[in-house]
Amino acid sequence: MSNPYLPIPVVVDEIITEVDTKDIKTFRLSFLNREDEANFRYLPGQFAELSLFGKGESPIGIASSPTQPGHLEFTVQKAGIVTSALHELEVGAKMGVRGPLGNSWPLTYLEGKQVVIVGGGFAFTTLRSLINYMLYEENRQRFGRIIVVYGARTPGLLLYKKELAAWAERDDIDLYVTVDRGDADWQGRVGFVPAVCKDIAPAVENTVAVICGPPIMVRLTKPVFFDLGYTTENIFTSLEMRMKCGIGKCGRCNVGSKYICKDGPVFSFAEIDQLSYEF
Amino acid sequence: MEKRLIKKDLLPGLIGGLAAEAAVYGPAQEGDYVIFRALRPGEEPLVEFANTRNAPKQFLFPPREELMRYTRLDGDLTLADRQEQVQETVLFGVRPCDARSFVLMDMVFDQEKYGDPYYIERRQKTTIITLACVHPPSAACFCAAVEGSPTSPEGADIMLTDLGEVYLAEFLTAKGERWLPRFGDLPAADAAALARQKDIALQNSWEGRTLKPTREIKPILDRIFDHPFWDTIHSKCLQCGTCTYLCPTCHCFDISDETKGNDGVRIRNWDSCMYPLFTLATSGHNPRPTQKERWRQRVMHKFKFFVDNFGNLACVGCGRCVKHCPVNIDIRKVISDIAAL
Repeated sequence: MSNPYLPIPVVVDEIITEVDTKDIKTFRLSFLNREDEANFRYLPGQFAELSLFGKGESPIGIASSPTQPGHLEFTVQKAGIVTSALHELEVGAKMGVRGPLGNSWPLTYLEGKQVVIVGGGFAFTTLRSLINYMLYEENRQRFGRIIVVYGARTPGLLLYKKELAAWAERDDIDLYVTVDRGDADWQGRVGFVPAVCKDIAPAVENTVAVICGPPIMVRLTKPVFFDLGYTTENIFTSLEMRMKCGIGKCGRCNVGSKYICKDGPVFSFAEIDQLSYEF
Repeated sequence: MEKRLIKKDLLPGLIGGLAAEAAVYGPAQEGDYVIFRALRPGEEPLVEFANTRNAPKQFLFPPREELMRYTRLDGDLTLADRQEQVQETVLFGVRPCDARSFVLMDMVFDQEKYGDPYYIERRQKTTIITLACVHPPSAACFCAAVEGSPTSPEGADIMLTDLGEVYLAEFLTAKGERWLPRFGDLPAADAAALARQKDIALQNSWEGRTLKPTREIKPILDRIFDHPFWDTIHSKCLQCGTCTYLCPTCHCFDISDETKGNDGVRIRNWDSCMYPLFTLATSGHNPRPTQKERWRQRVMHKFKFFVDNFGNLACVGCGRCVKHCPVNIDIRKVISDIAAL
């Protein structure tokens, strides 16, 4: 019987510091065994437990897309015991990954529709996975227009800056990047994410929205979409909660009759209403 | 199904026979309490007792359990299996409520998508010998209110019913029947014995008792998440965790690493949703910040969420939490108060 508690051995190939505060890094990992790589089949939205023996595990959304084989990427903020130890790692370090866990963004439901993606701060990681998945040549025509609103507090805190620049050059994605506060070099938009959403006012016909960000941003963005006619059924988000086993057994992430690790982390707002989840 | 009779004076010898092939655990007197523990060689288990202080769940789901070992040396990481070799085990003298708890735990640990190999291995190697309750229930018992019964065979591999001078032994599962040869030549149960068993079951049935079926509060729980009722039950609670510790169906756990030098072990140990740190995130946010939310979680999980997910109440009515709560919070009163909302 396979053991879902056993991490898969991986090695750190590359570490990219994403932000000017240096506390968010993207780790590019590759599998030590070819077989593990072939078996690790994931979809955007899923997460994995990053396992540092001696410290513990941390559930982190997968930031790479399955259309980018050969490696996994995780963007991790330094926050506690495990993530601090992770931030101390150097290229070549060995660690473990348990996954893929959880459910994915509702790709089948998104097919044939216009997709509005709204991300804030460092919650953008699995949204980036979703965007790269949809933009992939063989996938692109499965989805309609893609509108992305991504905001950070300052320009230095934007993740994936190179990728944002590349997406801005494309004509098959409408990208709106914004910051709460600009700096001397910032030429782009300045404004809170909910306000930018209100300006763009993406039409609701045949559209699904995906919103992921800090609780305050989500709370203020929801009404903007409701005013546009969106319902709780066509807005999705990804929830977070303290986790341990990641497979719905230890009880820690239990909310209502669901486990965020096993039944989520992706939920529609209609599903969340039934959970009595408190942000 | 094999039904045999065991003369009472033969029982200790039979258990000795089991001990030749398995680790046998059973009820034993320890000071003021009856404890479910490993039987010493030649030791006879108690057969006259209400229930053990500890739930036998710990033999399928230990309070501390190694998951795997690891070594970190020179930038390299190697993993190894845990050291423990799970033995063939017999749990003797399990009460029907506790036997039923294993069936409920199976629903959590043995799922199609994710199976817990540690629990499953112990489960497969453990034979449950249940001792039906033939005496009146103790003050805290309420199994019948939560869809159990003092003579329920649910979860048992072999069920013993005390008929007076003999035990009726029913070999309920293939696993139970495998032990039949070990029991020697036992006479088959006759009609009189079976009739006596029926009488006992009737005598001990809970018809006419005052506790209403707990399932009836499920539709109320469906609508009272934000009800002020939850403000009323938690203030006495000390967050000691005794209820979750002794409960046969509580199964929340923590996973942590313990390292010494280059070597370490990843373990899991019991945890409790009643503790403040259980859901505390690194950010400092805690979705269950006070005992009010935590008590609501306990009640909702056992009597609503588990029903939503598995169709069953996650309480077997053993009464341990009622007996041992240091501030006398009685879950039966909580249930009947909810029923009145």
